[in-house]
Amino acid sequence: MGDYVWFHDVSWHASYAVYFFVIGILAGLSFISYGSWRTPALRPLREKTAYASFVLLGLGGILLIADLSQPLRFLNILNPAYLNFTSPLAWGALNIVAFSIASIVYILALRKSDEKNGQLLALITALLALGLPIYTGFDLTVHQSRPVWNTPIMPVLFVALAIASGSAVGALLAAGNAEAQKVLREYMLWSAGAVAVMLVSIMGTTNYGGSAAELTFMIMTTGTMGLLFIGVGFLGGSVAPALMLFAPMGKSQGVVLVSALLILAGSAALRYVLLMAPQQLQTLY
Amino acid sequence: MSEGSKVSTGGGKRRYAMVVDTRRCIGCMACQVACKAEYDTPLGVNRTWVPYKVVGKYPNVKKQFLPRLCNHCEDPPCVRNCPVEATFRVEDGGFVLQRYERCIGCRSCMAACPYNARFMLPSHRTYTPITNVVDKCTFCFHRVTQNLVPACVQTCIGRSRVFGDLNDPNSEVSYLVAKNATQVLRPEEGTKPHVFYIGKSAK
Repeated sequence: MGDYVWFHDVSWHASYAVYFFVIGILAGLSFISYGSWRTPALRPLREKTAYASFVLLGLGGILLIADLSQPLRFLNILNPAYLNFTSPLAWGALNIVAFSIASIVYILALRKSDEKNGQLLALITALLALGLPIYTGFDLTVHQSRPVWNTPIMPVLFVALAIASGSAVGALLAAGNAEAQKVLREYMLWSAGAVAVMLVSIMGTTNYGGSAAELTFMIMTTGTMGLLFIGVGFLGGSVAPALMLFAPMGKSQGVVLVSALLILAGSAALRYVLLMAPQQLQTLY
Repeated sequence: MSEGSKVSTGGGKRRYAMVVDTRRCIGCMACQVACKAEYDTPLGVNRTWVPYKVVGKYPNVKKQFLPRLCNHCEDPPCVRNCPVEATFRVEDGGFVLQRYERCIGCRSCMAACPYNARFMLPSHRTYTPITNVVDKCTFCFHRVTQNLVPACVQTCIGRSRVFGDLNDPNSEVSYLVAKNATQVLRPEEGTKPHVFYIGKSAK
């Protein structure tokens, strides 16, 4: 691979990474909204996170449709006669639609202060939200010829990133609420730690992979990609916040907010590099 | 390509394949030009292309060409990954084809193809209204169904490219594959490609 040089374009551009970022946050916010039914400290975030999640869903939907070269044909993906269930995109489209419907019903229940059905609807919405980072992870995993993408850890990493970035936005929304931030600190700490461990595992398997994997490792760890992946994503966006939140000072509100900002910047950078870097090598094949 | 197109068959299923004898390729790019002419393929994208590398030790060096195109795989990842079945495999013949009117342009097939055989058509074209959808080599389906060989094969001056039915024991491709050491591109991907190379040096 790489002997015969010819230049191709990458298949998926950076707008897809923005979509991954948005979809991760909205999934994380849905988890918090459900969590508010089980953890009283999160109660003040219940409506805020549900609304924010729905707004981000609209933004994510627009990004996804605008990224198609035939945006008006997005309905094809919902046509039962066309659906191809071997494609994770087909499952993802159904997941998004189901999540949208569940979100609307859940928000209506919240507006009516329907405590009876609210918790069940929150659970359904959160479970459907869990499918969003999983399907975006599978979107990459199924591409057998791409190093890094084609690893089973990708959907799990995307779930951890969703919890981390959703909790970070939750922490920013809960600024001034020490009780809620205490809970969200825990979410951020363990999810950022899990992301760091998974990144180490990805780096290890990539660096010790075949020639294509090793070259991809070089692309991911040097130059601008390296700065974004190692600097902003790994060190700044997962290791540093995990250490800061774990330290004795980690319970202070200032540290929680700074960690939240670092996690958001890191998870955006990670999604960009995880999407773009594994495509670089194949542009030369 | 109209939906559900089938190659008419008089008997058993056919499996078309291309054999590329790289020892005979002189790098004239006539195949690339013929393909461009056949399909009005826009600038910057190609259904077939001919990259090269320089092998040997100075002063005894030479260019080694490796004509490339869609491999019309037996197990095509592009077909698996298309969410709307815009790309599909014709059972009789093994062509992997594209339904332009159905393609949503999500580029999943492009990402899935280990051979970079797919590309996005630009939004403006001179003679063809097919724009903003993914395109690729069709093994010249429209010509093959008229008992013609693909345009690139027709024009190949060195007879480097040979096309035919692999299931027909009397075909030239069957003979070449049986009598020569052949290689396929990226066999480790398990796609079972149907473009076979003779003389593709690993050097």
